[in-house]
Amino acid sequence: MLTMVERFSGPALEIMAGAKTAASHIPPLWALDATVAVSPYVGQAGEPLQMAAARLGRVAGVRTVAERAHFKAKFDAHELSVADLEAGLAEVPDLTASVEDLIDAMGQEVAAPKTLPTIADLAEEVSDINWPDFVAERIGHWASGHYDAGQALWPAPKTRVWLSWRSFAQRDLTPEIFGLTGFASLVASMSMSARGALTKCAEDMNITAEASESYFHTLLMRLGGWAQMASGEAFRASLKGEGNNDITDLLTAKLVFEAALLARYKDEIGEKWTEVLAAHAEPFEPSQDDLIDAALQAAADHAASRALDQTLAQPAVEKSEAPNVQAAFCIDVRSEVYRRALEASGDGIETIGFAGFFGIAAAHNAFASDVEEVRGPVLINPGAVTAATDPEDTDTLTRVARRVTRAWGRFRLAAVSSFAFVEATGPLYLGKLVRDALGQKGPSIGKDPAPALSSDISLDDRIGMAAAILSGMALKSGFAKLVLVAGHGAGVVNNPHSSALQCGACGGHAGDVNARLVALLLNDPEVRAGLGEKGIVVPDTTLFVAGLHDTVTDEVALFEDDLPKGHTHGADLTNLKGALKLAAKATRSERAGRLPRADTASAILDRASDWSETRPEWGLAGCSAFIAAPRGRTAGKSLQGRSFLHSYTWQEDDGFGVLELILTAPVVVASWISLQYYGSYVAPDAFGAGNKLLHNVTGGIGVIEGNGGVLRGGLPWQSVHDGDKFMHDPLRLSVAIEAPREAISEVLSRHEGVAALFDNGWLKLFVIDEEGRLGWRYKGNGEWAALRDAKPTAIAAE
Amino acid sequence: MMTALPLLAPAFFAIVGVIYLRSDFARGSSQLRIGEYAGFGALGVSLVSLLVLLTSGAATSPLIGLGEFGFSARIDAVSVIMLMLVSFIGWIVMRFAVTYTDGEAQQARFLAWLSFGLAAVLLLITSGNLVQLIIGWGAVGICVNRLLLTYPERAAAQRAARKKAICSAASDVGLIAGAIALVAAYGTADIATILDAARAGEGGSTAVLAVALLAVSALFKSAQIPTHGWLTEVMEAPTPVSALLHAGVVNAGGFLLIRFADVLLLAPGVLSILVMVGGLSALFGGLVMLTQPSVKTSLAWSTVAQMGFMIMQCGLALFPLALLHIVAHSLYKAHAFLASGGAVQQVNSIRKPGPVAIPNGKAVLKAFAIALTIYAAIGLLLGIDGKSAQAIALGAVLVMGVAYLLAQGLADAAPEVLTRRMAAYSVATTLSYFALQSVAIWVTTGALPATPAPGPLEWALMVLTILSFGAVALAQATFPNWATHPSAQGLRVHLSNGFYLNAVFDRVTGGWAARTR
Repeated sequence: MLTMVERFSGPALEIMAGAKTAASHIPPLWALDATVAVSPYVGQAGEPLQMAAARLGRVAGVRTVAERAHFKAKFDAHELSVADLEAGLAEVPDLTASVEDLIDAMGQEVAAPKTLPTIADLAEEVSDINWPDFVAERIGHWASGHYDAGQALWPAPKTRVWLSWRSFAQRDLTPEIFGLTGFASLVASMSMSARGALTKCAEDMNITAEASESYFHTLLMRLGGWAQMASGEAFRASLKGEGNNDITDLLTAKLVFEAALLARYKDEIGEKWTEVLAAHAEPFEPSQDDLIDAALQAAADHAASRALDQTLAQPAVEKSEAPNVQAAFCIDVRSEVYRRALEASGDGIETIGFAGFFGIAAAHNAFASDVEEVRGPVLINPGAVTAATDPEDTDTLTRVARRVTRAWGRFRLAAVSSFAFVEATGPLYLGKLVRDALGQKGPSIGKDPAPALSSDISLDDRIGMAAAILSGMALKSGFAKLVLVAGHGAGVVNNPHSSALQCGACGGHAGDVNARLVALLLNDPEVRAGLGEKGIVVPDTTLFVAGLHDTVTDEVALFEDDLPKGHTHGADLTNLKGALKLAAKATRSERAGRLPRADTASAILDRASDWSETRPEWGLAGCSAFIAAPRGRTAGKSLQGRSFLHSYTWQEDDGFGVLELILTAPVVVASWISLQYYGSYVAPDAFGAGNKLLHNVTGGIGVIEGNGGVLRGGLPWQSVHDGDKFMHDPLRLSVAIEAPREAISEVLSRHEGVAALFDNGWLKLFVIDEEGRLGWRYKGNGEWAALRDAKPTAIAAE
Repeated sequence: MMTALPLLAPAFFAIVGVIYLRSDFARGSSQLRIGEYAGFGALGVSLVSLLVLLTSGAATSPLIGLGEFGFSARIDAVSVIMLMLVSFIGWIVMRFAVTYTDGEAQQARFLAWLSFGLAAVLLLITSGNLVQLIIGWGAVGICVNRLLLTYPERAAAQRAARKKAICSAASDVGLIAGAIALVAAYGTADIATILDAARAGEGGSTAVLAVALLAVSALFKSAQIPTHGWLTEVMEAPTPVSALLHAGVVNAGGFLLIRFADVLLLAPGVLSILVMVGGLSALFGGLVMLTQPSVKTSLAWSTVAQMGFMIMQCGLALFPLALLHIVAHSLYKAHAFLASGGAVQQVNSIRKPGPVAIPNGKAVLKAFAIALTIYAAIGLLLGIDGKSAQAIALGAVLVMGVAYLLAQGLADAAPEVLTRRMAAYSVATTLSYFALQSVAIWVTTGALPATPAPGPLEWALMVLTILSFGAVALAQATFPNWATHPSAQGLRVHLSNGFYLNAVFDRVTGGWAARTR
């Protein structure tokens, strides 16, 4: 192996640094087989909203705050008060304006910002070719082949991004056909090193170090989801401690087109290009409108937290002393509705909220599968190896059956054999058409045999895991006879974005595997004995049972086959199932009001197997708050399915380890979810997945709209909009935690990245006081403001 | 009067289309389901037409029109089979579209054009008269154009629609000219009369000219190379449109050829051109499909290939098999498009059971030998002697396909139980192939002419077909052994670009023209 040592000049190194910084502004994207929500603003977390608006306005021409009419409507509906506007103004000190100015500004429509042109834009103006779309289509054509996970029978060779594109582009004749003469040979003459090619192009184009970040960010935004997928590759590699240059390689490919177009049209556009470069070199600065937008958004956030406070102010319900059933659900906002219904529908049922992986981040092999699925939060590496076990030794047969299906699939798709396939089996599709049109093939989730921890995990480790899980759930004593651990998933068919409806804490999979692992672990007599030695005594009469909450139908299925043989909880289980049925009905009727065409009882159930349904459920649309407090603070109060509810009792949290975990993991995940909805609402072209009606799944990893071009990350239009109105309100998440302020500040001081989200206002942080109300608001940089008449409270003194 | 019954099917959809345009249905209203009911109605009509055909035999309804020209329904095996097929697909597509487009601002308009599109296809296939055929043919083009522009602001949609409009216009001109030539040759616009005369050998050189014109029209309508560009870009319209186009509209070219099968036999030269263009499209589309990473694009290339194969069957005068191919392909492709949202899971599931077992050269040869044996054995059992040489030659394509299936089971790394199952699938596939062909021939006896004995030109074409399909099949079966080699990369790039035919078409027609601002 020949190792090349590249040497770069000072300016070249600065260009490379500019490319790296630009790349850091691009959010990562996950493939759709197991996608997780990502904040499109993750690269702007270090700056406030108005600065992000200025930046994204210039590089992508997108809004970062909703249109003014959105705020006007809120104001006219009295959802937004003058006090909110004052609070909003206070959050944007750089803005010199009065409340009246803000009210006036709401009435004015501000045009979407204009992005600086690329060379392709300039070239289109002076030629007869739509170069921007052409370049996007060419790069998309190659990229969908490069990132293809198995759609094409003849895959593109797997090499590094730059080499892969270089190999493609030096053979592709399309640019020549459209007049970009010599493009293929230009590419062929380029360095085998992307950095070499990048710096060479930058030099030819006179790109200065000052202009590089802004210009490169512009190019990356034009690559849409492809840049995000490349950024995701880097994210995933760095979790494993590996390096990855996909995104700068991809940037280089785009830059080569730019360089070639500049060379081609230099005489016509050279002068304009110099001006554009100069504009890129200017520092970003929020405009007056950006500042006003930021103040309006802050005011809307303030109004939302005010409404939350009012809900919390409702009198608490008395809870029964010893519950018959404890039911743990995911913190997901969809669980809130169901938990409320379940508590109301059964005797002595208490619910608990915890991130839906329930503390076991598993590297999991599904039944008869070689593919390792990460069933845990994507921010951390999996902590346990697990696999679906095989009680009747059917693994091999299942594999053979799947290989037969696969071979049949290849027979169907291969050249020549596809004709025999159609002539011999085409008529069978008559039956399939009828079956699917009538919704006779339901979704399949939670059907695997029981999962098991790898035998490599020692008993001590298992006991440690069990103890950590129970501590995290604040469930160390007072066990009920029956403890339900319910993961959630969404049973849908024919939906490329189905993984976006699954459990985010389980890495975009349904939560059945994690819930079953936890229940099996906690029912293990040896583990229980070990727990006893650690001071956590689980009574012999307590039984853990795993369940799966289907968020489309709201039915909860129990995994009774996993239970220890000869348990004596038959009657309890029957009662629980009765309560679950009632709760499902109540939850469905509450949800029916928001779902289109859900006017009959069966309409919601039918959605699960309707292959033409684009809005099976609303996912996490509408999410606006995250509450970490004892359930007593929220029980019986309707949070309208818009709040993440994490059970947390700070008095039981020695050393605030659980608090640290909550702030650094579930809160961050929830903020990514909330900002994903936010981005898909305010900037659907840049951060939304577009129209489901036009989706064309590419490479099995993502969608494009129509024929080709850029990959589309984020959420489809149909996931945030019901056709008449938006189903999400673009708010920054209000995080309300019942814990001492000092403890929170202390955790933030140790986690810079998390603190930045609060300091720059991407999340709003509140402390719940001893009355259960929002008592304090975090002002940033470790400072707090009292919200309620500065009453001295015990909690502040802790 | 029962013979005019088939005309009710297009009428149902046309009426429903007008209702969609005129009425202001509330969002999610159950009245939006009328499109589905039209599908049901059409399906009912098709079944009654089948009864009429079975009880009273083939017939043409009285003419509604002037003199020789106007509307009349044809009831025979070809039109009734097509009527049943399109009605069924129409029902499925409308049912799907009503829910799928819920919440779209232009939902009613979209459903209206979808209904009109179905009405036009139904009008076309029930034609007993050339005038009706031409009107249906032209209307299909207009409706498809409207449907492609469902989102008129999309530049890519405009590009696809423009290309389709050019091809439609060429196809319309071909059909009109062909129809004029038919009238000139046979002195009537009644299709059944023309066919009877042609079967009697009448028509002369004017009929040959007519056939040539009809063939041109069919090639443009069925997206044969090099006019395929629009078909691989129709994903710019919502999924149900793709399903309708691929399962209903592109068939029109093949239908035209089958409809005039008796006349076509008068022009063996034109038939041989159809074999060549169709065969080329079949191989070309099939190869390009191998490189396509997007599910709908891959399906579209598959349609180019399948339509090519069907046209080739027409060229070989295997009209019943071509009709079978249309039916089988439509059902498959409608399902494939409507279910294309499952591609994420499908691709993901490919990786689950472990790596694909790759057969070596020896296994591939063995697979070909076994496939040939299965074919011969089943053929002899079911009576291969009654088959035309052309059908036997085309059976070679089945052998090659089955060999590919077998080869995967014969790979060294494949467990024995997999080998056994692949063998069982191969036998079942072959049986099904023969059975369906026999049914197709039996059902269309009388309605479609028998395949004539091949002359030297036909023999040459058959040998060419077997050789070229065989070469591709062999390459395909040994594919993983060579496809990743660096020297194959150039071929892959050019194939993935469809050998630039579409790019050239775009360049010439201004497909990537600069936007005006």
